[in-house]
Amino acid sequence: MEVIQFLADGFASALRWHNLLFALVGVLIGTAVGVLPGIGPMSGVALLIPVTSTMTGGLGPEEAATSAIILLAGVYYGAMYGGSTTSILLNTPGESSSVVTTLDGYQMAKQGRAGAALSISAIGSFVAGIIALIALVLVAEPLSNVAVKFGPAEYFSLMLLGLAAVSGLAGKSMTKALMMTVFGLLLATIGMDNVSGVARFTYGLAVLYSGLEFLTIAVGLFALGEVFKTIIGREYAVGTIARVGRILPTRQDLKDSAGPIARGSLLGFFIGVLPGAGATLASFFSYIMEKKISKNPQKFGTGAIEGVAAPESANNAASGGAMIPLLTLGIPGSGTTAILMGALIMYNVQPGPLLFDEHPEVVWGLIASMFIGNLMLLVLNMPLVKLFAKIIETPPKYLLPIIVAISVFGVYAVQYSTFDLMLLIACGIAGYFLAKNDFPLAPLVLGLVLGPMIENNMRRALTGSDGDFSIFVAKPISAVFLIAAALWLVVPLLLKLRGKKVLINEEG
Amino acid sequence: MMRGFDSYASIVFFLIGIAFVWESRKISESSYGSNVGPDIFPMGLGAILVLLSIRLFYEAMKAPKGDSDGKTTPDYKRFLMIAGAGALYAYYLEDIGYVIGTFLFLLFCFQTIQRGKLVTSLVVSASFSYGVYYLFVQILEGTLPGFPSWLQ
Repeated sequence: MEVIQFLADGFASALRWHNLLFALVGVLIGTAVGVLPGIGPMSGVALLIPVTSTMTGGLGPEEAATSAIILLAGVYYGAMYGGSTTSILLNTPGESSSVVTTLDGYQMAKQGRAGAALSISAIGSFVAGIIALIALVLVAEPLSNVAVKFGPAEYFSLMLLGLAAVSGLAGKSMTKALMMTVFGLLLATIGMDNVSGVARFTYGLAVLYSGLEFLTIAVGLFALGEVFKTIIGREYAVGTIARVGRILPTRQDLKDSAGPIARGSLLGFFIGVLPGAGATLASFFSYIMEKKISKNPQKFGTGAIEGVAAPESANNAASGGAMIPLLTLGIPGSGTTAILMGALIMYNVQPGPLLFDEHPEVVWGLIASMFIGNLMLLVLNMPLVKLFAKIIETPPKYLLPIIVAISVFGVYAVQYSTFDLMLLIACGIAGYFLAKNDFPLAPLVLGLVLGPMIENNMRRALTGSDGDFSIFVAKPISAVFLIAAALWLVVPLLLKLRGKKVLINEEG
Repeated sequence: MMRGFDSYASIVFFLIGIAFVWESRKISESSYGSNVGPDIFPMGLGAILVLLSIRLFYEAMKAPKGDSDGKTTPDYKRFLMIAGAGALYAYYLEDIGYVIGTFLFLLFCFQTIQRGKLVTSLVVSASFSYGVYYLFVQILEGTLPGFPSWLQ
């Protein structure tokens, strides 16, 4: 019953008024991020890191980390709620995990049932969020107790598995995904070496000694890259927005969607736990599953409420599930969780099995705040749906330059250097061209975040074995991880060779 | 366009990989108590990047020349103007200060994306730049480059 005690402490911390405020701000901004086309959860979270770091400036280190991560996680799952709004009202998904929602959601809106669709997706997201959280509470502690026994060799192999999973599923070309991963790992080697203190690839430039800042690169690649994409593609046009209408779902709607919500939540959660497979895949699979088991599958695509309830529950459950490998193993399974991990590291909180022992306040505060945040979202979203629909109408003319200005402000406020600002702009341009040509960006950020840890563990393991690389296969757990990593890369290739279509995760 | 980019990109990444391998040979190998020095990791990764680039080059050559999806002509002019303005803004931020720099940058971008409504643009950029500065510097006590010295 230790868990209950910890959870109670977590609630005590999450219910402090400033943490409640942080959670509220987080979910509100997250919903806005989800609603606004052009900023996804990744750039939203990246943009807010500097803002939170200044907002938490007056608190002690442990408290600051708790408050910051509460806000950032709020943005993450808030975006999952908000993403459905544009899918339903505009037929354009606010982020990639809501693509499937457009199929039935927009049809419902055309029939004047937009309100019902929106509220069902809010209810589904809420149920899914709670289910994912309960599972997180139950699984996290035992899993981290297992992981605590891992040595450097096991850790190295586990992180390779994480990278392989994300690379294997990201983007259209695995070659490109692997290149991005390796490039991210290489960028991480720039600067002072943690183990020996030797400066690498710095060429005497003082700004390079501390390494390239992860925040600058993430904000540049995602936020600026997205702005440039919108400008180059002339994607300013805002379509006609469907009227929201009656908000409360009918009893029949609730009855129809109870099953899909429950199934979507469970499926989404398990997909979310797998590294590499994120919210997008979860929503996709749950839609397919509902269609398969439905008695009359032909109604899907014509405004079936099941087609909204299932994927919206699944993507929210997946974002909860993705927190498990992040918190217990220190392995982010997606781009957004990689950014969350980077944020934690900025606060000197190292995610991983020791997190539960070293920083119980941070973890349990976060978990408790996610319960509260989900409740806030449900309470806020139902009456405020019409207001959020208004946010869609923000003219991109003002929005885009302001995103650039916020990025510049954010990076400067944390880094105080012109070099980082120039790097930010360069990353934005690179991000646009790379993403346009199907080079996935999430693996790059993941490589950048995991790079130092992979290297440290590799070298510690090799030091122990006197430079003998066979240590990674000699230890059974490590060997299993390596085999799994290899399979993750090889199986999709084999399937492709046999002419099968392989599902990929667009969002990362 | 697309295949072209891939082959250029593979050459660039190939060179990056070579550079990392080459430069990591200069990192001193000595690392006390360990025969695994700080050079192994970047050197190995550089080599992998080289191999992957060769693979991508081969894929790019093999693939049929795809047409670019000519739905809309890409708007490179506005992109260059905004990216250029962003670079100037970033470079001179410390010299001209946050409020003036942000104000000018936003005003320029608003008008670049869509001409007209000058008053709205002025109001939005002024309130954003001063608002952020006031909130951050006065209330949160953060640091941003203030007004240039010749104005004070």
